[in-house]
Amino acid sequence: MKTPSLGEFEELVLLMVGALHDEAYGVAVLENLESHLKKKLNISAVHVALKRMEDKGLVRSRFGGITEDRGGRRKKYYVMTALGKRALDQQYALRNSIYNLIPDISFSK
Amino acid sequence: MKPPKRALQFLRWFCREDYLEEIEGDLIEVFEKQSLLSPRRARWGFIWSVCKYLRPQFIRAFKINVHQNARAMFRHNFTITYRSFLKYKSSFFINLIGLSSGLACTILIYLWVSDELKVNNLHAAGDRLVEVMERQLDNGQITVQSGTPGILAETMAQELPEVASATTVSWTDKYVLSVDDRNMQGTGVYAGRDYFKIFSFPLLQGDPGKVLIDKKSIVLSDEMAVRLFGTTENVLGKTVTWQHEKLFNVSGVFKKMPAQSTQQYDFLLTTDEMKEAHPWTLQWTNNAPSTFVVLREGASLEAFSAKIVNFVEDHGGEKGTTVFATPYSRLYLHGRFVNGVEAGGRIEYVRMFSIIAFFILLIACINFMNLSTARASRRIKEIGTKKAMGASRRALIIQYLGESMLMALLSMGCAFLLVILLLPQFNLITGKTLTVPTDYPTLLSLAGLAIFAGWIAGSYPALYLSGFNPVAILKGQLHGSWSELWVRRGLVVFQFVCSVVLIVSVWVVYEQMQYTQTKNLGYNKDHLLYFEGQGKVTQNLETVIATVRNFPGVTNASSIGHSLMEFGAGSSTSSMQWEGKDPDLVVEMENVRVNYGMIEMLEVQLVAGRYYAQQFGAEDSNIIFNEAAIAAMGMEDPIGKTVTLWGKPRTIVGVVKDFHFRSFHEKVKPLFFNLAPDGTWMVMMKVEPGKEADVIARLEKFHKDYNPGFLLSYRFLDQDYQAQYVAEQRVATLSKYFAGLAILISSLGLLGLAAFTAERRLKEIGIRKIHGATNVGVVFLLMKDFTRMVLVAIVISFPISYVISRQWLDGFAYKINLQWWFFATAGLSALFVAWFTVALQTWRAARVNPAKTLRSE
Repeated sequence: MKTPSLGEFEELVLLMVGALHDEAYGVAVLENLESHLKKKLNISAVHVALKRMEDKGLVRSRFGGITEDRGGRRKKYYVMTALGKRALDQQYALRNSIYNLIPDISFSK
Repeated sequence: MKPPKRALQFLRWFCREDYLEEIEGDLIEVFEKQSLLSPRRARWGFIWSVCKYLRPQFIRAFKINVHQNARAMFRHNFTITYRSFLKYKSSFFINLIGLSSGLACTILIYLWVSDELKVNNLHAAGDRLVEVMERQLDNGQITVQSGTPGILAETMAQELPEVASATTVSWTDKYVLSVDDRNMQGTGVYAGRDYFKIFSFPLLQGDPGKVLIDKKSIVLSDEMAVRLFGTTENVLGKTVTWQHEKLFNVSGVFKKMPAQSTQQYDFLLTTDEMKEAHPWTLQWTNNAPSTFVVLREGASLEAFSAKIVNFVEDHGGEKGTTVFATPYSRLYLHGRFVNGVEAGGRIEYVRMFSIIAFFILLIACINFMNLSTARASRRIKEIGTKKAMGASRRALIIQYLGESMLMALLSMGCAFLLVILLLPQFNLITGKTLTVPTDYPTLLSLAGLAIFAGWIAGSYPALYLSGFNPVAILKGQLHGSWSELWVRRGLVVFQFVCSVVLIVSVWVVYEQMQYTQTKNLGYNKDHLLYFEGQGKVTQNLETVIATVRNFPGVTNASSIGHSLMEFGAGSSTSSMQWEGKDPDLVVEMENVRVNYGMIEMLEVQLVAGRYYAQQFGAEDSNIIFNEAAIAAMGMEDPIGKTVTLWGKPRTIVGVVKDFHFRSFHEKVKPLFFNLAPDGTWMVMMKVEPGKEADVIARLEKFHKDYNPGFLLSYRFLDQDYQAQYVAEQRVATLSKYFAGLAILISSLGLLGLAAFTAERRLKEIGIRKIHGATNVGVVFLLMKDFTRMVLVAIVISFPISYVISRQWLDGFAYKINLQWWFFATAGLSALFVAWFTVALQTWRAARVNPAKTLRSE
């Protein structure tokens, strides 16, 4: 089966969903990405990426329990699917295989 | 700390439902965290984020598929409507004819009414432009007149701070204007300096504030300028001769006054000229010209009116004369005064016709209602099937309302064509120059009217038809309910009430008109030809009268001061004194200047004494009164008694019977004949019947030779008489048509209902005939129901029409009595029309062979 393509930002979000395993919901992904990337992101961007990947079958979601926080709205947790993992693996394999072709020389400044 | 409400609402409105909770939750969490650091930035961040969700991925589906369904339903309804029109052609045509003639009549009346409302309403000053009028106590009655002292306008402008500007406008008269050899007759008037600033009549040449300043100025209408000079260009400063007597310089040219103005002049002269030519206008006791005032912005009309009450009296006018102001634009419609108080006028006709239009439209709408509910049984299966398939009541209401609106729009199209066809005729009757409206606001309001009519006509059937129980319908258990029958009967009764009321009213108007035409007026108005003497004719009056009397075909000739119908145009006086007169009593008397032989020629009957005659000599110290004047003075045995007029004693030598010199709206007023040949400019002659054309030809030739440069304008006295009743004649003609239309539409509706009833009862008729009923018996059976309805309508309509006719007749001082047979005839004619219509249909149904109708079951 052909794995769906991954955009750059999608790849980052997918990585973070994987990293946060079972604790990944919109705001958590956003904050962790922000602290790693050291720049401000908009929550809508995260949602766009998450929804798109869900459509592609790279992640799966479920609602959390009702809490007092967030004005009573439930969180939606995302987990990576097997297809998602494979897409990441393939992406890495591809990048590494090309990366390895770079000759080991010093590059001009 | 709460997130911005509006943004959240917006998000909820556009966002997909399955994403909403997650997105909202995450947004709020981010917002709460941020608002700890900076609430302001948090709010803006929240709004910004919400906006960022505006992308196809997150926007919910707005029900596009529903629109597609509506379109399909629309097409479906349209098809069904079209097919039902095709299938039931007769009711389609009855509806079409009824609605379109009803609408056409409404449009015509709308055009007339809106034109009436615009009359004299075209001046920039609007309600600040007022006319100052006088109230005078006359023999215990307060009369209102527009004649005022000629210097009232100027004095008011000088003395009253509320007055922004004021102008005098004199009486109108026909004069001859000449340029070189060209003589033209036109209506002229004297007007104050600010005339063109006060009245917004556009000047083609000249400055509104300056054209009437120089005493020898004349301002021409563009028509008059073309007639005199052949052009309106470069005529300023040219000289025009007036009455072959005086020279005036053209100072301006104005555009012909629009039809919606009651002031229609060919030229204007200055008030300075009026003062010189008619110095009597300078006195405060003489009233003739009208006075118009523009109030300052913000000045109150009531306060102004209250302030000027005694203005004329304080300046030396007649005792008991008070003045008041009324908006000029209002006077046209509210121009009638009873005992000094405003009492309607043309507005009554405007109201009356608006009401008639409404009722005719209503009658047409009722036809539609009745026919569609009656027809419902034919379409009941359609409704049942639709309902069983899940059509909502709303959808059915929409279908039926749509059907009636389509019908109404179709009718509006036909009505518009009818209006285009009928408008020339309508203009002839109403004396207006209405045009077919083409501007968008009017067309839109007409479409609105069609939709309104469609809505009225369709609302009852739509609500009624859609309410059926589908199970009952499809089982065939549904038969017309009692309430349905009652509503239908009620509507028919209502239609016939309207028709009968209209017929009675038309009858009364017609009879009253007949009365005015045939009643003995106390003088003979027929075959009296007259013309106004000008130039040489006035100088040699006796010669002219003698010449004219010798024309073949002329039996008699004399001269008089005014045309008989123009009495009251400034020719009355209250200075009559007699023995034992109460000093506070004011009796206004008509002053009729006559020449020898005039009273005899008018065939006014003597009650006592004699007419004026040359053989008695020194007749200018004698006087002849009418009975009303004698009664007002309270004299008994008056012949030989002495009265004082303008300071000179006069002996009463004759008393004539009262005669109707004014219209029948007014009581006969006190009047005296004053022998003053010098003041009689109207040469009048009695013509043998059938010789009119000869006499006129001879007169024209004589006038041309004898009085060159002046144009002869002759009239017959009975023409003037007819002119007094123009308004009533118009009402009579129009209401005749409207009554005809109302009864036509009503009987069309009855025709449809009768056809329907006959069809419904075909089987019953068949069975009856098998058992031996005759055709005539069946017709009577079917007609019984309709007869009852029409009879009820007739009974209801009598009191209504009685009240209406009484009110209309109250406007006349001399009137017919309402006869019982006006009502009886109107009722019977309605009944006969109904019978005829119904019989037409039922006879056909009764003649059908019963074998045919009973074959199928």
